[in-house]
Amino acid sequence: MIAYLLRRLAATVPVVLGILLATFAIQAAIPTDAVSAMFQGQLSDNEAAEAAAMLRERYKLDRPWPERFAHYVHQLAHGDLGESVRTREPVADEIGWRYLNTLKLTAAALVVAVLLGLGLGLLAAWRRGSWLDLAATSLSLAGASIPGFVAGLLMVLVFAVWLRWVPVLADGWRSLILPALTLGLIEAAPLARVARSAMIEVLGSDFIRAARAKGMTEWALLTRHALPNALLAVVTLVGLQVGSLLGGAFIIEVVFGWPGIGELAVQAIQWRDFTITQAVILIGALTYVAVNLVVDLMYALIDPRIELGAA
Amino acid sequence: MNTLAPSSGRRLTRPLIMTALLLASTTCLQAQTMRLRLGADPETLYNVQSISSTVDSVLGTYLLERLVYLDDKGQPQPWLAESWQVSADGKTVTFTLRQGVKFHDGSDFDAAAVKFHFDSILDPKNASPVLPSLGPLVSVEAPDARTVRLKFSKPYGPLFNTLSLGFMGINSPTAVKKAGRAYGRRPVGTGAYKLARWTQGTEIRLERFDGWRAVRADLHQRGQPLPAEVLLRVIREDSVASAALETGELTSAQLLPDAVPRFERDPHFQVFKNSDVRTLSFIDMNQNRPPFDEVGFRRAVSLAIDRQAVTRGAFNGYATPMTVPLAPGIPGHDAALAAKGELGYAPDKARALLAAAGWKPNAAGLLERKGQVARFVLRGVSGSDAVDRALAVVQSNLKAVGIDVRLETSDWGAFYPSLAKGDWDMAMMGWTWPDGSVMSSLWRSPGHRKHLKPFPPLDATFDRCGTTLDPKARNQCLAEAQRLMVEQVTVIPMYSPWAIYAVQAGVQDFHIDGSGYLVPGDVRLPK
Amino acid sequence: MKPISPWQALLRHRSAQVGGTLLALIMLAALAAPAMSAWDPIAVDTAHRLLPPGTEHWLGTDELGRDVFSRIVHGARWFVGIGLATLAASAVPGIVLGLAAGIGPRWLNLLISGIADVLLSFPYVLLMLAVVAILGPSLGTAIIAVGIGGVPGYIRLVRGEVLALRQAEFVEALQALGASRWQIARRALLPNIASPLVVYASFVTPLSVLAAAALSFLGLGVQPPAPEWGAMLVNARNLLLTAWWATAAPGFAIFLAIFSTNLLGNALRDVLDPRSRWAAT
Repeated sequence: MIAYLLRRLAATVPVVLGILLATFAIQAAIPTDAVSAMFQGQLSDNEAAEAAAMLRERYKLDRPWPERFAHYVHQLAHGDLGESVRTREPVADEIGWRYLNTLKLTAAALVVAVLLGLGLGLLAAWRRGSWLDLAATSLSLAGASIPGFVAGLLMVLVFAVWLRWVPVLADGWRSLILPALTLGLIEAAPLARVARSAMIEVLGSDFIRAARAKGMTEWALLTRHALPNALLAVVTLVGLQVGSLLGGAFIIEVVFGWPGIGELAVQAIQWRDFTITQAVILIGALTYVAVNLVVDLMYALIDPRIELGAA
Repeated sequence: MNTLAPSSGRRLTRPLIMTALLLASTTCLQAQTMRLRLGADPETLYNVQSISSTVDSVLGTYLLERLVYLDDKGQPQPWLAESWQVSADGKTVTFTLRQGVKFHDGSDFDAAAVKFHFDSILDPKNASPVLPSLGPLVSVEAPDARTVRLKFSKPYGPLFNTLSLGFMGINSPTAVKKAGRAYGRRPVGTGAYKLARWTQGTEIRLERFDGWRAVRADLHQRGQPLPAEVLLRVIREDSVASAALETGELTSAQLLPDAVPRFERDPHFQVFKNSDVRTLSFIDMNQNRPPFDEVGFRRAVSLAIDRQAVTRGAFNGYATPMTVPLAPGIPGHDAALAAKGELGYAPDKARALLAAAGWKPNAAGLLERKGQVARFVLRGVSGSDAVDRALAVVQSNLKAVGIDVRLETSDWGAFYPSLAKGDWDMAMMGWTWPDGSVMSSLWRSPGHRKHLKPFPPLDATFDRCGTTLDPKARNQCLAEAQRLMVEQVTVIPMYSPWAIYAVQAGVQDFHIDGSGYLVPGDVRLPK
Repeated sequence: MKPISPWQALLRHRSAQVGGTLLALIMLAALAAPAMSAWDPIAVDTAHRLLPPGTEHWLGTDELGRDVFSRIVHGARWFVGIGLATLAASAVPGIVLGLAAGIGPRWLNLLISGIADVLLSFPYVLLMLAVVAILGPSLGTAIIAVGIGGVPGYIRLVRGEVLALRQAEFVEALQALGASRWQIARRALLPNIASPLVVYASFVTPLSVLAAAALSFLGLGVQPPAPEWGAMLVNARNLLLTAWWATAAPGFAIFLAIFSTNLLGNALRDVLDPRSRWAAT
């Protein structure tokens, strides 16, 4: 087990390096940089040129990118994420609390998605092929059939303006309700699908037929056998979904103004503030890698039939 | 407050009454909180480092005060500067500062503070984006605590209008030195409100500054600012802000033009419209790309555009169609010239001009001349519904005279720098600035994107305006510049969108000053 | 019991019936759009903006006076077009790379899997924004941006299926007979991964359309005045309380289109590949 863990960790290093390399390549390929985007209000190129040149020098934006890359990796090794060109402040300051906010949002949304996904999947699998199946499947599909920003705006309209169940501008934990619900609804569909097919598979197996013949109740069958199988499938999917979940979270953050890294990243790209963009990509990638590692471990723990060494 | 008589037996009365009183007092306090929207969280609140519109509005409305302010007629009036004198050669301006003004941290406002602020801007190590706005400023002297002397290398015409800008407020040097890099998170000024707490990404909480003095003549409220607290909530999405307005969670918010009729009909709101704005949207043409180097062609393009249709479609009519290149709220705007509408909608004249220049419709209905088909690209900034709509109307207008225009929108970070490359035909953008020098910055040859051919008469006029300090003479000079630009069709002015905001019905005296900033201390919130 | 062909099973499946019919309607609109409405979808007429649905304008007019019904039916072309284009942009490189990873030498497998992992770890919004920032905004760029996000999924799918198939007896038999990798790929592998591929494509393509709408939301999608449903929805999102038809029409169109594609995908999965692990990713 320890060997497996170490091997997996070692395998993530080239991926992370690959990500850093890719980010830098992207940065090199983007035609403008933060400084030229910053001086949009400054009209005289001559007057702004001096200030711009100095900023570029300070942030080494005029160096060839292999040199910048080496510098960046060196910085990272010392735990320094660099400084934002626009705010002139250390990136780590801003990213820290924003990342926590995004985690809160995605965690809450994941809970909603898993509960909804399992629930609807269970209903659909229980009466497979019936109208209940179609209804439950349709409900879960509906969530994945609207663009995220529409879902968010509709939620605000329905729950905050018409029903007045929550304030539009909530504080504290209450501000999590609408964004988490929206994101959870959207991400529930694939989970419901997997849960349904996993449960159908189990429910059709010989083992279940034998158990039924022995007189086990439907409820016991569902909860003790179908559900764990579905949970397994759902958990695996969650690992793969992280990229999509984070991406969806970005849009939800922009719509609801949730102060997470998504909102930050979208702004940072528009301002061509690369230090921040890089840091967000790095954190996103590490999150993805970490979640997948955890998922793999859980999978291995739950289902000892899985060979830990398999590719 | 009445003292409660000791009760014997009814144990619940006292706590009940206390609770009621507590609730009442908190409700009273809450009623004295003004809740407004911020479109974006400011990246910093240090005005030496940033001049974004968010920074400008937060600092300029609440936290910092400037040397002068502009009154309703656009004239500079004393604020932190009690009076001023311009030297005979126009190169030195001496301000006499007001006494007895204190910063939020208790330190005194004096000439040293003003000098410190301007020195910070002038310091090349700070790479301050404010620097170009100060033009030919060379040095700042503070011979005594009440006097500040600004020395320029040549007379600087836009000086007073620039000093009135929101981001030209003065910071407390004590606070700046103490906070160092962190100053941007806790600005300290002399304004009516001080920073209580900034929850990054979410809201900025401001509270009344007890040591504030009302020195401006245009304030209605001469004592303490009326609202005890101001909450600036970051809301990026317009529909969310609109929703918060409807539920009463915002005291006031700007309205999208299509929502205006709905709010006007609603008795819970008052709607204010301000057309005296300092924003101008315009279409630049790249004179380095034929046929945009011909005056006749440029004029034809301008005459083909139906600005009424643009303002109707993009702003529901709540924008001023512009035919002169200076926004209506900027001192120097030539209203008479605008009324003549020489660059306005006249499609038949446009067609005649094009035909006279040799353009003939080809088989597809597009104009063609010597093998060149009239097919061009119009670039714009993405992310704004109004701009998207305006572009679509322009495209359709030009199609009607036989010019095919393809639209290309991108975000500002890509759009503006890409224009420096020179491979564009037309580009539409907007600019907000309170002073006529914006015309010079944008359109003095070779132009802000190096897209203009030299035109000495206009350049000479710009230079003259730039060094004229007397407001009346300057306005005449600016009018001359506008006339020349209209004649040459240096740019196609498009529209100036109005500022429309809705305020909750019970709120009184929610008004903006001569520069377009809210006067928060005057606002009377309902109890 | 007589075995039935996949087609017949599909036609009997309820989800396929509902989804398929709706999609067929959309395809019809895409093909016959100009015939379905007399109004020009991009003709501006600001004097008649935001008119409610009526006899002249069946779904009313939008913020620039354009007929909404006409824009919706013409938008079907954009839906089909964007769907197919992003499908190609994701599937073609995905399948090629996945095959290469599956049948090629081990180092190639590792390299391609590594690339796929790197791509998958980017939150898709950032990836799209980065691509648009590099290539400049245009329709082609938007397609590429959306498409790139879908590539790693196809790589994993194809690679996984190919690796599993390699163990199969008939493949080993072919190898023993001396067939080249390319021949094995063509004869044995491709036909057998067709089913999971179709199922996967039916689930992932709607996501690409939604991603394109997200791009429009961030201001980097298709250029105006294209009657693309996502862009229409973005432009009308603040009009829900003022002119609900301008928002509801593209909203319903997108919803129905994607919903029916998903229904059809469900049916395809049930019929073609019910035990597939990939059916949900």
